[in-house]
Amino acid sequence: MTAKSRPLWQRILLSVWLRPILLVIILLVLWDLAIRLFKVPPYLIPAPEAVVRQLINEWPKLWRESLVTTYATLGGFALSIAFGIPMALLIAYSRTVESFVYPLLVFSQSIPKIAIAPLFVVWFGFGIIPKVICAFLLGFFPIVVSTVAGFKSVDNDMIDLARSMKAGRLATFMRISLPQALPSLFAGLKVSVTLAVVGAVVGEFVGSNSGIGYLLQIANGNFDLPLMFAALVVLSMIGVLLFVAVDVVERLMIPWHASHRNDFTATA
Amino acid sequence: MFKRISTLLAATLACSILSGPAAAQAKDKVILMLNWYVYSEHAPFFLGKERGYFEQEGIDLDIQEGRGSGVTVQAVAAGTAQFGYADVATMIKAAAKGAPVIAVGVALQTSPMSVMGFADKNIKTPADIKGKIVAVTPGDSMSQIWPLFLKKTNLKDTDFQQVAGDAQTKLNAVINGQADLLLGYPMDQAIKLQDATKKAIYPIRFADYGVNLVSSGIIVNKDYLKKNPDLVKRFMRAATRSLEEAAKNPEAAVDAMLKANPKSGFKDSALVGMKATAGLYKGPDNPGDRPLRVGAKNMNETFALLVEYGGLDKASAGKIEDYYTNDFLP
Repeated sequence: MTAKSRPLWQRILLSVWLRPILLVIILLVLWDLAIRLFKVPPYLIPAPEAVVRQLINEWPKLWRESLVTTYATLGGFALSIAFGIPMALLIAYSRTVESFVYPLLVFSQSIPKIAIAPLFVVWFGFGIIPKVICAFLLGFFPIVVSTVAGFKSVDNDMIDLARSMKAGRLATFMRISLPQALPSLFAGLKVSVTLAVVGAVVGEFVGSNSGIGYLLQIANGNFDLPLMFAALVVLSMIGVLLFVAVDVVERLMIPWHASHRNDFTATA
Repeated sequence: MFKRISTLLAATLACSILSGPAAAQAKDKVILMLNWYVYSEHAPFFLGKERGYFEQEGIDLDIQEGRGSGVTVQAVAAGTAQFGYADVATMIKAAAKGAPVIAVGVALQTSPMSVMGFADKNIKTPADIKGKIVAVTPGDSMSQIWPLFLKKTNLKDTDFQQVAGDAQTKLNAVINGQADLLLGYPMDQAIKLQDATKKAIYPIRFADYGVNLVSSGIIVNKDYLKKNPDLVKRFMRAATRSLEEAAKNPEAAVDAMLKANPKSGFKDSALVGMKATAGLYKGPDNPGDRPLRVGAKNMNETFALLVEYGGLDKASAGKIEDYYTNDFLP
């Protein structure tokens, strides 16, 4: 109601979509000011203007390489889901599995992926597979942890209630446990998808003939910092878009959840 | 027992008194950042440090490992390290983009850049590269000169297959047979391959096919040079002595390096590398000069190559004299 009475420019200014863009613009201005004020030389940090210019000039190349990185990211993310969620279910529902697997999982997570990534190239060659595995290794842990947490925090009284009403195990799972676990599962998916982007680029750094990671290496070798930053911007955009995609799926699957209820009234 | 402790104490005391005046005389603390993790090419600096050449010039030298010439150049430009040991061609490219750095001595006057593989694969001439797989590191100095080598030897991109990976992946690929060849230095990658597999390596040197440019050298920050010309002179005097002595006595140099960095390699292969390194100290156009002095013709050729193939913009690059000087050498 208040939204309608406000003038148009105010509504645009306050719209949820515009706010982050506004912040980006403010940060760009600060970046530019900092470079001018402190006289930061371009071989250490490029000016935002130079980065934007490279972003436009090199767009065809950036677009081509970003597709490659996106495929690897999605591959790793899909693997993370395919392995992570069943693994989390096993851990959540079996104390035996939990006691065997969980500590090992945490242990494996502390291994720096960049240290073992060169081995993936040795094992799987220079194609997309080592990148997908890197993305998977970074992406799958958050899914497991938050899914386990989700299923473990299901309200026991609710399950007792379902049982007392003679619901079978499957029905209890589908009606009570799964819906209650979904919010934290999605929280894990969101962390996972952004980490998968990082994983894919780690894979590309180590050994690859294409992708944003490959482009970053070349730009770095030529002291082309504007191109390097432009590639980083594109990379971050991939992360943002994938995050938003997961968010949209989340809204569709759990529109009832508290984290979305407010948004819906605000944007309605 | 007590007596022994007291003699020990007396000895320490005597030592500290003796070393007292030397310590009081403030030495200039200087960081030399290498182009890469320590390998045989760096042995002369460890020899110079061990023998006290730098100390005698009033310099307290701290040798730090690097992570690629580009990073070393940036560190020197930013003043994080006062001196750098880096690929001069890479430095020129950074300087052309505004980094305030200059080469004050060129150690390797002929480029060691090579394309190499196991000797038993019989790849000995550029023509043998046809149909093979070559591993490169995108963006590094060798990958940028590689197209020129191909042009000079009448090879086309389509004649062979190329795979890209970081420094370690390149080695792994050749060791595991995913690639037949890699771009590298005989005293670095060739030795690493040899140490890992105990198999002989055959390098095809770019320089033998008309692709020559200067390689590693000593670089400093321009502002630092302006403020400390005397210190730079003293440093270069010690460095020149170090290189000369290492060329004469490669074994002592390698020993000094391995003593300071036991993990930096094996003695036998490091010795081969050190000898190969010393073989590049003499410039093609100034063979009579002491090490680190570079000839104008050699630098001009390097510059021309960089403008033509290395992505150096001719208009903004200026002239080669802006990028190096022999003025601070003995």
